[in-house]
Amino acid sequence: MIFKIEDVTVYFPYDNIYPEQYEYMVELKRTLDAKGHCLLEMPTGTGKTIALLSLITSYRLSRPDSPIKLVYCTRTVHEMEKTLAELKVLHDYQVLHLGTQAKILAIGLSSRKNLCVNTKVLAAENRDSVDAACRKRTASWVRALSTEKPNIELCDYFENYEKAAENALLPPGVYTLEDLRAFGKNRGWCPYFLARHMVQFANVIVYSYQYLLDPKVAGIISKELQKESVVVFDEAHNIDNVCIEALSVSVRRVTLEGANRNLNKINHEIDRFKANDAGRLLAEYNRLVEGLALRGDLSGGDQWLANPALPHDILKEAVPGNIRRAEHFVHVLRRLLQYLGVRLDTENVEKESPVSFVSSLNSQAGIEQKTLKFCYDRLQSLMLTLEITDTDEFLPIQTVCDFATLVGTYARGFSIIIEPYDERMPHIPDPILQLSCHDASLAIKPVFDRFQSVVITSGTLSPIDLYPRLLSFTPVVSRSFKMSMTRDCICPMVLTRGSDQLPVSTKFDMRSDPGVVRNYGKLLVEMVSIVPDGVVCFFVSYSYMDGIIATWNETGILKEIMQQKLVFIETQDVVETTLALDNYRRACDCGRGAVFFSVARGKVAEGIDFDRHYGRLVVMYGVPFQYTLSKILLARLEYLRDTFQIKEGDFLTFDALRQAAQCVGRVIRSKADYGMMIFADKRYSRHDKRSKLPGWILSHLRDAHLNLSTDMAIHIAREFLRKMAQPYDKTGTMGRKTLLTQEDLEKMAETAVQDMAY
Amino acid sequence: MAGEQVEKRVKYKSSVKDPGTPGFLRIKEGMLLFVPNDPKSDSKLKVQTQNITQKFTKEGSNKPPWLNLTIKQLLGRSHIFEFENYPDMHACRDFITALGKSDEEPKKAAVLTSTEQLSIKELEIRFKLLRENSELQRLHKQFVESKVLTEDEFWATRKKLLGKDSIRKSKQQLGLKSMMVSGIKPSTDGRTNRVTFNLTPEIIFQIFAEKPAVRQAFINYVPSKMTEKDFWTKYFRAEYLYSTKNTAVAAAEAAEDEELAVFLKPDEILARETRQKIRRVDPTLDMEADEGDDYSHLMDHGIQRDGTMDVVEPQNDQFKRSLLQDLNRHAAVVLEGRSIDVDSEDTRIVAEALTRVKQVSKGDGETTKDANQERLERMSRVAGMEDLQAPQNFPLAPLSIKDPRDYFESQQGNVVNVPGVAKGLKRNVHEAYGLLKESIVEIRATGLSDPLIKPEVSFEVFSSLTRTISTAKNIIGKNPRECFLDRLPKSTKDEVLHHWTSIQELPRHFWSSYPITTPYLHTKVGKLKDAMSNTYSKLDAMKESVQSDLRHQVSLLVRPMQQALDAAFQHYEADLQRRTAKSSGGERPNGYV
Repeated sequence: MIFKIEDVTVYFPYDNIYPEQYEYMVELKRTLDAKGHCLLEMPTGTGKTIALLSLITSYRLSRPDSPIKLVYCTRTVHEMEKTLAELKVLHDYQVLHLGTQAKILAIGLSSRKNLCVNTKVLAAENRDSVDAACRKRTASWVRALSTEKPNIELCDYFENYEKAAENALLPPGVYTLEDLRAFGKNRGWCPYFLARHMVQFANVIVYSYQYLLDPKVAGIISKELQKESVVVFDEAHNIDNVCIEALSVSVRRVTLEGANRNLNKINHEIDRFKANDAGRLLAEYNRLVEGLALRGDLSGGDQWLANPALPHDILKEAVPGNIRRAEHFVHVLRRLLQYLGVRLDTENVEKESPVSFVSSLNSQAGIEQKTLKFCYDRLQSLMLTLEITDTDEFLPIQTVCDFATLVGTYARGFSIIIEPYDERMPHIPDPILQLSCHDASLAIKPVFDRFQSVVITSGTLSPIDLYPRLLSFTPVVSRSFKMSMTRDCICPMVLTRGSDQLPVSTKFDMRSDPGVVRNYGKLLVEMVSIVPDGVVCFFVSYSYMDGIIATWNETGILKEIMQQKLVFIETQDVVETTLALDNYRRACDCGRGAVFFSVARGKVAEGIDFDRHYGRLVVMYGVPFQYTLSKILLARLEYLRDTFQIKEGDFLTFDALRQAAQCVGRVIRSKADYGMMIFADKRYSRHDKRSKLPGWILSHLRDAHLNLSTDMAIHIAREFLRKMAQPYDKTGTMGRKTLLTQEDLEKMAETAVQDMAY
Repeated sequence: MAGEQVEKRVKYKSSVKDPGTPGFLRIKEGMLLFVPNDPKSDSKLKVQTQNITQKFTKEGSNKPPWLNLTIKQLLGRSHIFEFENYPDMHACRDFITALGKSDEEPKKAAVLTSTEQLSIKELEIRFKLLRENSELQRLHKQFVESKVLTEDEFWATRKKLLGKDSIRKSKQQLGLKSMMVSGIKPSTDGRTNRVTFNLTPEIIFQIFAEKPAVRQAFINYVPSKMTEKDFWTKYFRAEYLYSTKNTAVAAAEAAEDEELAVFLKPDEILARETRQKIRRVDPTLDMEADEGDDYSHLMDHGIQRDGTMDVVEPQNDQFKRSLLQDLNRHAAVVLEGRSIDVDSEDTRIVAEALTRVKQVSKGDGETTKDANQERLERMSRVAGMEDLQAPQNFPLAPLSIKDPRDYFESQQGNVVNVPGVAKGLKRNVHEAYGLLKESIVEIRATGLSDPLIKPEVSFEVFSSLTRTISTAKNIIGKNPRECFLDRLPKSTKDEVLHHWTSIQELPRHFWSSYPITTPYLHTKVGKLKDAMSNTYSKLDAMKESVQSDLRHQVSLLVRPMQQALDAAFQHYEADLQRRTAKSSGGERPNGYV
C-alpha cells in the first residue's frame, strides 16, 4: 500500500498495516525531520523492522536532493539476514511501483569468516585464523614478494578484485551475505573486500553493533560514513552491555606469557630487518615523528584493528619520543609486562581506579600515561613495518596494548579489578586483571556525536526513561507503544506453586530443593502433553540447566517428556546449538513437536525467534538475576549509584526482568500468532518485580493468573489453546481497528486535515 | 515338516521374577518367534531353534506351566514362557523336540497344511493385524482355533488387508522411538556383580545411528578381531566409564586398551558430519556465523567475570561427553528417522547399510545449489508478515466427503465398512436375493458350471447385507448418535455385531468353496455348514432373549443375516441332494467328487 505521512509518500509492501506501525512511522518521521535521536519501544510481533525500513527508504526517496544513508545495526548475523530478507521484499515492491529510480544498494557486512569464498582460507578453524590466512595471501608486501618468488600462494579472488580496481562495483540491489558470496564467486572478486569497498556507496548497510561501537573495528569499517546517516540499533535492550563490553579488557597469566613470546619474535624480526633492510625501520621512525595521521597512507587491505582510543587529538599528536624506535618500544612493553605480572601475583582481591593504577605504574615501571595511550597504535605500526601476517599469533601482545591504551586514555568510568581466583571456584588459582568499563555512554558517545539521527528501538525498553540516563543522550522522541490486539493472543501466567502447593523458585536457597526440581519437571511434563508443536524453556544459567536436566534424567521426568516431544538443548558449543535449533525447527515443521531447553542471557535468548508453531509456550524457570557477588558487577552498581543515582536493587531487578521479557517475548511474530508465557517463580507475583515487565505483557497478565499452581496453569492453558483455535476476524472487533487498509488510512488523513482546518 | 508350526498364547519372561509380557509364541521350523500383544513393548523375540535345551515345570506341581528354553549359541541366554495351560506347553515342547530331530527325518508332504512357506515378515504382518483389530482377533480365535477354518483359509480372504499393509509399509516407514538408548538399564541378578544388557535390533540400530564411531569400529573389528559379544561387552564397559564421570579412570583404561579407547574418544565421524551440516543450516539461525563476526570478544576482550557467564569447566578433556550432547544427538537421529530399509537380524548388515546411507547423503552434499535456492526461497517467504498480506493460496486437495455419515461411520472403527456404497449399486435386499435365487435356480437347471455363482451375485448379497445392518444402525434414530444399537444392552449389541461379522466371514468361505472339487473342500463345506447352523441357532436364541420392546428391531436386524444363512443352507442341501443323486446314478463326471 502507498500512503502519505505528512509530506512523505510511504511505500509499504503489504495490503494492510497495523495502527501501531503507522504511529511508529509518524514518530520516526518526526525524528528524521528534527535530525535528532529517538528511543522507541514497540512490542515484538508488530513488525518494527519493516515499518522502520519502509519509512526510512521512503523518506530517502522523498528527499532526492539530500539522500540519507541508513546504517542498520543488528545484534547478530542471523538477525542481519532476516532484516535483509525483509528489505528485499520492500525493495521489490518499491521498484515495482516507482521503477528504477527506487533502486538502492543494500549490503550486509560481516567478517572474513562469513564472507570469504576461498576454500583454502575457509579451511581454517576459527575467525582469527581465517583472518590471518587471508592476510597471508593479500598483504601488500606478500603480493610484492610474489613477483620475485612465484611459489608464494596468493588469493585469486583478491587478485581479480585488485585488477578490476575502480570497476569492481556491485550493481544496485539487496545483498545478503549469501548473495555477496555468490556474486563474488561468479565474478571471481573477493566478496569481503568488495563489500568493504561498497560501504561508502551503499544506501543501506546492515551490520553488527560492534562495527559502530567497538573502537577496534569501528575505526576501519565505519570511518567513511557521512553525517547524513540514520543509525538504527535494533533489539537494543542490551545496548548498554554491548557498550561496556566493547571497552573492557582483561589480562591473565597466559596472556602475559604469550605476549612475552610475541615480543621475543618481534625482537628477532627487528634484528633481521636491521641486518637486511635498515631503511624500513628508519622510514617508520620518520613517519612517527610526523604523527600518526599519516596512517591513512597505508593501503586498505593492510589495516586491521584501529585505535581503541577515541579522541581525535591522538591522531594529530606525535608519538612520544621514547617509543619511536622499535627496540625502545619493545623495552617499554617488557617493563609493562613485568609490572602486570607482579600485580597478578596477589593473594587478595584488589580494586583500583585507572588514575592510581597509572601513577603506580609510572613510579614503579617508569611508564608515563602518554606513552601508554600510544601503545596500541605504536604496535600496529610496528607490525606493519615488520610485515607480520600471522596476526592471530600476536593476539596476546595486542591485548596488552589495548589494555595500556585504555588505561592511559580514560580516567573515569573504569575500574581495575584483580582477582586471584574465581570466587565460585576458589580452589583453582586463576589470577586475572580486569579493566572493566562501567559507563556505557563512553563507547556510544561518538556515534551520537557523529550521526544526525540515532534510533534506538526494541521490544523491551522498559523503563524507557532509564536508557537516556545510561547512555547519556537526549532523545527528541521517546515513546513506548502499546499493542492493539485483535484477540488475546498472548497468555502470560505466573506460576508460584507446584501441584502439591509447595512454592517454586530459583532463589539460591531453594533452587536445588528436590521438591522444586520435581515440581518444575512435572509442570513441563503436563504442558508438553497439551501444547502442540514447539515448547521453549529458559533457565537462569547453564550450570542450573545442566543440574536440573541431570536430575530429571535420573528421576525419569525426562523420559516422560520425551514420550511427548523430542528434546533439544542449547550447549556452550555454538555449532552444536545451531544444529540443535535447526533440528528443533524441523521437528516442529513435521509435526512431531519438540522442547528446546535454553538459557536466559545465552545466545539463543538473544536473537532466535520462536514465533508461530516454533513456540506455542515459553516457560521461564526462575528470575534471571546476575551473579550478584561478582566484583565487576558490584563495581558497576557502585558507579551507577554514584553517577546516575540508580539504586542497586532497582538496576538488578530491571536487568533480570528485561532478560525475562526478552526470553518470553520471542513467541509472537504477528497478531495472527499466539503463544503462552509462564513465569515459574514465586517472586514474579511480587509487585516490585512484576511491574518491571513491559506494558504489553502486563496488560495481558490478569489478576487471576498471578498466583497459580501447576494444575490451575494446565487448566488455563487448555482453555487458551481451545480459544485460539477458533476462527476470528482479523480486522478487529467492537470498533477497535487492529488492522488498517488503504481506505482507513486515507480517512484518517482526511480527518486530520479537517481537524487542522477547524 | 516344512511350514508346520505351533502357535500359543504365552507370557514371556526374561527372568524368573519378571511378571511377563503377554503375547504369542509361534514356533516353526528353524525359528522361534515371540510377538508381544502390546506393540510398544520391546520384548519382541526371534531366535533360531537350533541347539535349544529345554526345561519345564511338571504338571501337578504347584508351579504354573513354564517352559524354559536355553539357546546355546546366544550366550546361553534363557527364555521363559508361561503358558495358559499344560497341554499348550506340552504341544510346544513336543514340537521343539520334534524340530530337533527333524533334520534327519524325511520331510513328509503335508496334505492339509499349505506348502506355502510363510516368511517371518508375513507372519509379523498377520500378528500385527490381529493385534490392532480386536474384531479380527475374535474371529480368528473363533474359527481358526476351533478348526472351522485353517490359518491359510482365514487369511486367503484377507489378502487385500495383507497386501495393503505391505504397500503402506513401503510408503511410510516406521519412525524411531523417542526414548534414549542410554535409558536401557542393565538387569542384575542381585547376587553377583554381573550385569546383563538386553540388546534388541532396535537398540543396536539406535546405537549405530547415534554413534558412527561405534558403527565403524564394529565393521572393523567384528568378527575379525573379536566376537560380537566381546564387542558389546567392551562398548558397555565404555558406557559405564562415562557414567561414572571419572575421567581419570577412563583415560587410564583407554591408554591400556586401544579398542576401548575407540569408544571413549570423541567421535570424529560425527564431527565431520557436523561440519558438513552446519554449512547447510538456515542462515536466520546460524549462530556460528555470529561467532565469526564477534570482534568484541577477541581473546581477553569483553567482560570475563561479571557473573553473566557461567563457570565453564574445562571442555578440552577428551574423555568428557555430556548428557546434553547425547540428548541432542539422539533427538537428531530420531528426527532423521529410519533411513535404511534393512530389516535384518545381522548386526553387520545393519552397520554396513547405515554407512552406505551416510556416504550417499554426503554425496548429496556436493549438490547444495538447489538446497540453497530452496532455503533462500523459504527465507523470503517467512520474512513476510502473514496477516498483513492477502492469504497465500496454497494448493489444496478438496476433501470429498459425500455423505458425512459415511465419513463418521468409517471413523468409528472397522466395525462398519461399507463396500457397496461407492459402487453406487442401488438394489434393495429383495432384488439381491432375487438374483441369488435366480442363479441357484439356474444352477439347478443347468448343473454345475464354472463359475458356479456369478461373482456379481455373491457381491450383491454381501453388499446388501452390509448396507442393511449399517443403515439399520442409523435409520431408527434420526440422529446417528442415538442409533438403535446403542439402545440395546451392551452385551446384546456386541453379540449382534459379532454375529454379523462372523456371518460376513463364514458364507464368504462357504460360497468360495463351490464347486466342490476335492475331498478337502467337501469336509470344509461340512464344517462351515455346522458353524453356520450353530450361529443361526444362536441368533434365534438371541432374538428370544431380548426385551419385548426391542425384539422387533432386533429381528429386523437379524433377519438379513438369517436370510443369508438360509440361502447358504438351501444351496448346501440342494447340492447335497444333487450329488447323492448323481453318485447313486453311478456317473461321476471327471473331476467332481
